Amino acid sequence: MKRLMVLVTVMTVLAMGSWAWAADTIKIGVVGPRTGPAAATGKAFEEGIAIALDHLNAKGGVLGKQVEVVFEDTGGVPEKAASALEKLATRDKVPIVVGESHSSSALAEIEVANRYKIPLIICEAWHDDITKKNYKWVFRAGPVNSGVVDFYIAPFVKDNRFKKVAIVRENSDWGVGIAEKTETDLKNFGIPFITLKVERESKDFYTELTKIKGENPDIILAYIYGTGLHFFVAQAHEVGLSPKCLILDGAGPPSLWDTFWKNVGKAGELELFMSSMHEKVHLTPTSRKFWDDYKKKYGKDPTDYKTRSIYNVVLIAADAINRAKSTDNEPIVAALEKTNLEVTTGIVKFGLKQGTYEYHQWMPPMLVVQWQGQKQVVVYPKEAATGALKKVK
Amino acid sequence: MNEFLMYLTNGIVIGVINAISAIGVSLIVGIMRVVNFAHGELYIFAGYFSYHLSASLGVPPLLAMPLSIFFIFLIGIGMERTLIRPTYGDEMYSLIITFVLSIVLQNAALLIFGPYPNKPPNLVSGATNIFGLYHYGNQRLLSFFISIGILLFIFYLIKRTWFGKSIRAVSQDREMSSLVGVDHLRVNMLSFGLGAALAGAAGVIVAPIFPVTPTGSSAISLNAFVVVVLGGMGSLKGCVIGGLALGIIENLGAAYLSTMYRNIFGFVILILVLVFRPWGLFGQKAQ
Repeated sequence: MKRLMVLVTVMTVLAMGSWAWAADTIKIGVVGPRTGPAAATGKAFEEGIAIALDHLNAKGGVLGKQVEVVFEDTGGVPEKAASALEKLATRDKVPIVVGESHSSSALAEIEVANRYKIPLIICEAWHDDITKKNYKWVFRAGPVNSGVVDFYIAPFVKDNRFKKVAIVRENSDWGVGIAEKTETDLKNFGIPFITLKVERESKDFYTELTKIKGENPDIILAYIYGTGLHFFVAQAHEVGLSPKCLILDGAGPPSLWDTFWKNVGKAGELELFMSSMHEKVHLTPTSRKFWDDYKKKYGKDPTDYKTRSIYNVVLIAADAINRAKSTDNEPIVAALEKTNLEVTTGIVKFGLKQGTYEYHQWMPPMLVVQWQGQKQVVVYPKEAATGALKKVK
Repeated sequence: MNEFLMYLTNGIVIGVINAISAIGVSLIVGIMRVVNFAHGELYIFAGYFSYHLSASLGVPPLLAMPLSIFFIFLIGIGMERTLIRPTYGDEMYSLIITFVLSIVLQNAALLIFGPYPNKPPNLVSGATNIFGLYHYGNQRLLSFFISIGILLFIFYLIKRTWFGKSIRAVSQDREMSSLVGVDHLRVNMLSFGLGAALAGAAGVIVAPIFPVTPTGSSAISLNAFVVVVLGGMGSLKGCVIGGLALGIIENLGAAYLSTMYRNIFGFVILILVLVFRPWGLFGQKAQ
């Protein structure tokens, strides 16, 4: 009996201790793929989070407490994503969750966020529906399919007078959404195109590429995310399709991963990709600071722009909690709606007009970048261009 | 017509790659009645070994390849000695152990090698214009011929050598073979090592074409199991035919039906085979 009493006392003290310890920090939840075909994004997220936390905690944290992050892996799988968010909401009881880079996962997460009434800021899942559903708890500070296509991809194709387009899209929510939007825009511009659907985890694209070659397009819009893009680019060169026909990586990060050049070899020359980051383009002082902090911490230049995207949303979340002066959901959402914060890609202000995808949405400016001699050259939009688009005659 | 020939060529090349990726599984199932779920991980590790030996340590790629296979062979022997041997006689245990091992190895790979896809340097680069009809990657052609070489060597080893004879004896009847003087423990250990080495061989041969990622191993194991079941558990000939059938069907299906359902064609064939010929195309009907 005595032993039992001792045990109970110890347990109680421990439990109180952990509670007291937990209350010393503000926890921000993060969701993203740390495994699966886009595990590299998880790595990019980890780096961005580390820099954001250094930055915030050096300034004294949030509400006078140090900030901490709980990063749950989604594996890029919607079911895992949903349970990851559920864990953050119920087990860790975080006041806000940020992150995600897969649309399929984000679409599952917003339902959970809505059910648990927990504020969620998506940074790199582009599907329109994520904000189009107009959930009160869901925000996005990042690209959206319609915006990327309307303002960047479709005008880029038109302005550079490409004659025929091949759209290759993976069977994910992001792939389907962005391909449909592209088809609509190209139809409006009167530019002929073909669409090829591929499996998300395909490795061998010879059949698809042979089909495309038969159609003789001069640009391929590759909506393939992850390692698959490396296979696609390398194989397009082998079958003699590129560089005569250019390839635009509609997502971007895979073309920036450390292993890109090793995996594609010279097939990477003249490849194009979407990005929101370039070493010569700094839209705000925060962008410069991020670049310097990153270099100091990791001893190299940042490459994957998703490192910066997650950095931005962690800052936005911390700012909202600070202004709300609370970790309760309602005040945080109210604060988020009034966000007016400088991040690396501009000044964040969320849209408030309901009924469209622009509700609770803020999109950073994007760039179309081309690899020229293994150097990144911004070729679109014109006002940000650092060089001209190169084509092979 | 050019396009059809291209699809067919690619189907055959991918088919042989399927066969080489699966033959290790088939061998181990056939001889030891052990289903090695960690096959894909051994493949991935071999790819990474080959990459790190050649890219990080500067070993010539042609030496890095056999060296990586040898490491995997040793790992295979170690696995058999420590994990598999105690489970003989109960297929369920070995199945669970290799399954758990596959998860452990996958996470170990993620931890050690990181999440990025990696590939050893190509031995050859560029593409060949085949009969003036279409371009085909040189590295693929080379891997194709090396794979055929390895398949022929395995057939020779199993069908024509003394070691092959003792392997077949053990696979037919473990007790009987030990009565006539075959050291079945040793044979099992070596054949498990050989099966692992074949996973490694597939890894180093295919990795220059399809870079390895730690999480890519499940897809490789799954593909190997489809090929093995298609061809018949434990039949080497079935494994080659199964691999080729899968490669050709997937490519022609993707070309003429839909690129979207490439992987489904293989499974449809698998289901048909399981319904009408559950023992596989070349397997032995269970008594």
